[in-house]
Amino acid sequence: MKTFKTMIITETKLSLRGLDMLIFAIFMPIAVLIILGVIYGEKPAFAGADYTFIAQSFGALTTISIAAGGVMGLPLLVSDYRSKKILKRFQVTPVSPMMILIVQVTIYTLYAVVSLVLLYLTAALFFSYRMQGSLLHFMGGYLLVLITMFSIGVMVGGIAKNSKIAGVIASLLYFPMFIFSGATLPYEVMPAAMRRAADVLPLTQGIKILKAASLGEAADNIFVPVLVMTVLAVSCIFISLRFFKWE
Amino acid sequence: MDNVIQAEGLSKSYDKLTAVNNLSLSVKRGTVFGLLGANGAGKSTAIECILGTKKYDRGMVRILNRDPRTERKILFQKVGVQFQEANYQENITVSELCGVTGALYHNALDSDKLLTRFGIADKKKSFVKDLSGGQKQRLFIVLALIPNPEVVFLDELTTGLDARARRDVWKILRGLKEEGMTMLLTSHFMDEVEVLCDMICILKNGETVFYGTTEEAIRMSPHDKMEDAYLWFTDEEGQQDENI
Repeated sequence: MKTFKTMIITETKLSLRGLDMLIFAIFMPIAVLIILGVIYGEKPAFAGADYTFIAQSFGALTTISIAAGGVMGLPLLVSDYRSKKILKRFQVTPVSPMMILIVQVTIYTLYAVVSLVLLYLTAALFFSYRMQGSLLHFMGGYLLVLITMFSIGVMVGGIAKNSKIAGVIASLLYFPMFIFSGATLPYEVMPAAMRRAADVLPLTQGIKILKAASLGEAADNIFVPVLVMTVLAVSCIFISLRFFKWE
Repeated sequence: MDNVIQAEGLSKSYDKLTAVNNLSLSVKRGTVFGLLGANGAGKSTAIECILGTKKYDRGMVRILNRDPRTERKILFQKVGVQFQEANYQENITVSELCGVTGALYHNALDSDKLLTRFGIADKKKSFVKDLSGGQKQRLFIVLALIPNPEVVFLDELTTGLDARARRDVWKILRGLKEEGMTMLLTSHFMDEVEVLCDMICILKNGETVFYGTTEEAIRMSPHDKMEDAYLWFTDEEGQQDENI
């Protein structure tokens, strides 16, 4: 426990010193929320909808931080710590290199949760947002999206040959998801063809779960997304455990 | 028997290349052991096989009478290691690195005292990457000593240092030796090896070409200096002559 506490404090300091997660996981989601709020205000999501545009987008916005940490932060960090031989150094101490991965996953989870709370407060205070659906369902979906995205990240960081390749893969995963999954640009405003392309992205499926949960829609709509995310998470975790390279 | 490190018949190959072949060595408590050889001779592979970060194909290793692969958690409470490459996080300060290192062990020494002892206490708030080469190596010695180890492994500690910094590091290592610390080190500098090592092992293409004291190495060669004897054992002198 002493080890975990000291490591999490130090690694959080190092992470904040880097600034990029602060920008991409904390400020960016708030900025997108405010922009959408200013443009669409508290208008209904579409003619006749009984929820506002912001309410429709809330679930999507909460995934920006998860995606930043999961498919950008984690792969870069894991591959960097491997190429710097920091993971290997742990192999000649009484503590397993697994510890530093647990610490990092915890830190990225904290970023995501802080972002979630800030988004909720901003939306509630300035755009009169209230969650219509079940908070329990939402948190369940949120956890599933988080686990899936983080397991993709650890897998990429763990099996990419070097930091450069990890960086390329992270960019290829992150930017399309950031723009086309509906996390920033709302899925509802996309043309039909673009939506079909977006459906391939795992985050699009995750966002469908969160949207349905936050809007209190019927649970049978999300059977396929939940299945896709679960299968993806299990596969990535399996590949990580099997092929993770410590050096 | 008081062998702190014991390796017998250690062999390791990568595909068809034999990195280490049938290496045996033993390091007695309170002595300094030097593992020598040119780049690519198998020193780092040998150290990694002994520490258990690489799997060896054949042989047996014990450190403090424990198997480093299966008893890692207990064994490494009492072992300090400095690898060849620097392995610390970008943007970490000296005191943070010491703090995290200390948190890994049950009975960590006070790192402030160690930093003071090795003359870098004033660098506590500095980023590790901003230290000079000599200061970095002193910090790495501090890190290896934080567990209050019974044995330390130091891989090419003085490579890349200027003459002054190298002398300073020697002084520290000699001090540790006088206190009875058991050490296994690799080095390229024969003057350093002569000063520090009780026993040496010279590797060439993974084979042990000499095992004994530095005096014995000099006696067995036609030369009267350790550097010449080392080159004679590793055949580097012959190659140099051809180049002339």
